[in-house]
Amino acid sequence: MPEKMMEGIKYQDVVQQFIEMSHTVGCEVIEAKADDDINELIQKAYPDAKVLASNVEGIKANLNPDTVAKAQDLNGTDVGIIQGDIAVAENGCVWLPQTMKERVVCFISENLVILVQRDKIVNNMHEAYKKIHMTDYGYGCFISGPSKTADIEQALVMGAQAARGVTVIIM
Amino acid sequence: MRVGLFIPCYVDALYPHVGVATFKLLKKLKVDVVYPERQTCCGQPMANGGFQRMSDHLAERFEDKFKDFDYVVIPSVSCAAFVRVNYPQILDHECQTPKKTVELVEFLHDVLKVKELPGSFPHVVSVHNSCHGVRELTLSTPSEFQEKPTNKIVELLKLKEGITVKEPDRKDECCGFGGMFAVEEAYVSTAMGTDKVKRHMDTGAEIITGSDSSCLMHMQGIVAKNHYPIKFMHVAEILAAGL
Amino acid sequence: MSTYHSKRAKEFLKNPKKVERHDRTFWSLRQKRDAAAAQLPEWEDLREHASRIKEHTATHLADYLEQFTNSLERNGVIVHFAKDAQEFNEMVYGILESHKVKKLVKSKSMLTEECEMNPYLIKRGINVVESDLGERILQLMHLKPAHIVMPAIHLTRDEIGEMFEEKGISKEKGNHDPAYLTRCARENLRGDFMDAEAGLTGCNFGVAATGDCVVCTNEGNADMSTSIPKLHIVAMGIEKVIPDYDSLAVFQRLLARSGTGQPSTAFTSQFRKARPGGEMHVILVDNGRSDMIANKEHWMTLKCIRCGACMNTCPVYRRSGGYSYSYFIPGPIGVDLGMLKNPKQHSGNVSACSLCLSCDCVCPAKVTPGSQIYRWRQSLETYGTENKEKKVMAEGMKVVYENYHIYDALLRNSSVANHIPESLMDIKLNPWSIGHTMPKFAKKPFHVIFKHAMEEMKHE
Repeated sequence: MPEKMMEGIKYQDVVQQFIEMSHTVGCEVIEAKADDDINELIQKAYPDAKVLASNVEGIKANLNPDTVAKAQDLNGTDVGIIQGDIAVAENGCVWLPQTMKERVVCFISENLVILVQRDKIVNNMHEAYKKIHMTDYGYGCFISGPSKTADIEQALVMGAQAARGVTVIIM
Repeated sequence: MRVGLFIPCYVDALYPHVGVATFKLLKKLKVDVVYPERQTCCGQPMANGGFQRMSDHLAERFEDKFKDFDYVVIPSVSCAAFVRVNYPQILDHECQTPKKTVELVEFLHDVLKVKELPGSFPHVVSVHNSCHGVRELTLSTPSEFQEKPTNKIVELLKLKEGITVKEPDRKDECCGFGGMFAVEEAYVSTAMGTDKVKRHMDTGAEIITGSDSSCLMHMQGIVAKNHYPIKFMHVAEILAAGL
Repeated sequence: MSTYHSKRAKEFLKNPKKVERHDRTFWSLRQKRDAAAAQLPEWEDLREHASRIKEHTATHLADYLEQFTNSLERNGVIVHFAKDAQEFNEMVYGILESHKVKKLVKSKSMLTEECEMNPYLIKRGINVVESDLGERILQLMHLKPAHIVMPAIHLTRDEIGEMFEEKGISKEKGNHDPAYLTRCARENLRGDFMDAEAGLTGCNFGVAATGDCVVCTNEGNADMSTSIPKLHIVAMGIEKVIPDYDSLAVFQRLLARSGTGQPSTAFTSQFRKARPGGEMHVILVDNGRSDMIANKEHWMTLKCIRCGACMNTCPVYRRSGGYSYSYFIPGPIGVDLGMLKNPKQHSGNVSACSLCLSCDCVCPAKVTPGSQIYRWRQSLETYGTENKEKKVMAEGMKVVYENYHIYDALLRNSSVANHIPESLMDIKLNPWSIGHTMPKFAKKPFHVIFKHAMEEMKHE
């Protein structure tokens, strides 16, 4: 084994770098102000959304991934709202530990809103892997932007099988 | 410093003027250079084809002929790389020549540290970065590596007055020679060579130059077959121009 | 003089437009890789770390596999060990059968290709649905992958669009826009995700310390495949195990940057437990890997993390396409893996390398695929699969080069060959003449010129 583990790149302004990378990987980014109402921000970002799914406290939603009878019931969700944990400046990844009974909400929703705490943004994956944790569900995922494919003639298309659009709200 | 000159078989047979230019250049730079008699081939063609076992006698002979020199200079990157990288695996004993063998450009740039060259060469040239020169001898920084790019061939050429030095797009993509590869995979090899020649021509150069006459031979064959308007010169010929 | 690869490559090269597009597509991936790597000052250091972690794991594989298994079992995951493809297929089928599974959705896994799992299961009545778009396209067209990361990139939008129309996946005739076709496939696959009873994924990295099975995708199809059905099967080669999260960080950073130039795949999914009320199985597959690790000359091939960078940079792959190789994995790493698997069967790919060594320089785990091919070439004689005509040529060279008087005599007279008319040289027996004019021999070789010059100097 290498005697010393990798350190990895560090950025002067991790938040700015994270925002830049999030754009690169196809996300919308909203920097929420202290007095912003998150529900209003979501409403403004997705004015046509009819079905919202979330179990995040204080978030208005019609469906709750904790209480739906089965995963399939979340099909047709316009916007899923998820609490993200560690966010990574080098690649726009956000760690989503499973905190709901039906994790499919993170993938089946047409659009995803990920809430990120400003102070949870780290420089790189080395730092991220030192900080992430798993919940009892035993599943977690780093998401870096919308689901995408370039399988047909290398044309980049958002929304292959999972969310077509991702908005990160930095709080 | 005593220098032994090795002139590879195909340079001997097809491009003797490259050997002449090399010898002239070294003499002009006041190098004590000797061309030992009865030399043939370093053994690379058989080894690259998968018959390295047929190269061991030639490696022994090379070691024997050149081991007492301070440096062995070869005006051909793939041959120099073969001696340096492969001989230690071929010879089953301690050997001297892999440590002492340098390609001509390396010798001028790293050993003699040539900083000026008389004679002008008022032409536009496109530099052919041969794979083994790039990735085994590091004559230039491999484009795959994330380091500040340097190029010893370009640096030396720029010492000639009036010269314009270009590099093609995809500057170190293989031209497709590869020794017996060119006959075993003739169609792929030709496709690679044709693409390469076109990229050299796209630079607007009159001449393609490099430090491996085998790559140049391959591209020259394609150019001749298609009557493309571009010429070839070994780096040694340009560096020796007007001396 | 032709090999399996050279014959197929010749066919591929008959369509210059397609070749040009293929070459450009994969070269652009190489450029994206370069740009992504350039963003990280520690790039070369990362590669070195990856190489050393893989070397360490390979030399302590039994220990790490035990640790990995313990971690998984602690979380209630059922771990199986398959010695070969047959056993693997039987195990997968056994698990599916005991859960009465009719439909299996799967994400991309080169291991299931290696074991030919799909036909095995389909023959036994399981509806196997590939969920990676590229793989799905290939499945519907009954084709094999032509690249390990972008398996269907050699097809045109029209070919795919027409097939979608034929299968009723797309409704708008003649609309072959990739965005439209992707949306059609999404809607079509959504139905399969909803009613499949089981999901199968591969595994890019198995973390021994935690028991995480890490799957990297861009489409999110591994997650769709495993978040609705209650049953999840992970198919994983034993060489995929790595020690811990520190190691995982190194590979996660290298994988996507090397393969597609992305800073990360869109999804890095980490599974270590079954869904609530579900079951998770991990099948660790050997299928020759233990023998490969014991191979002193070629064990490093198993350091490969399947990023595809060696194919993208390979000038031969780019101009000959994935179907010119006899092994299901093409390109430099495919040549090496094929030789490890069955040297007699796959010797015909060993010619597909000009030894430019660009692959050695891009490989994130320093597998050195090109240098490996050089070594495989040396061993073809032991399998009796060396190119006989090439051997005759090499033997001829050896005689000439080892006997100076023959060499000297030949060179002094070789300029005679210049007078052979071009038309006589342009024959099938002379592959050089396919693309080249013959080089001209000098009237006097260098060693003769030199000798004369020296003699003249003495007289002066």
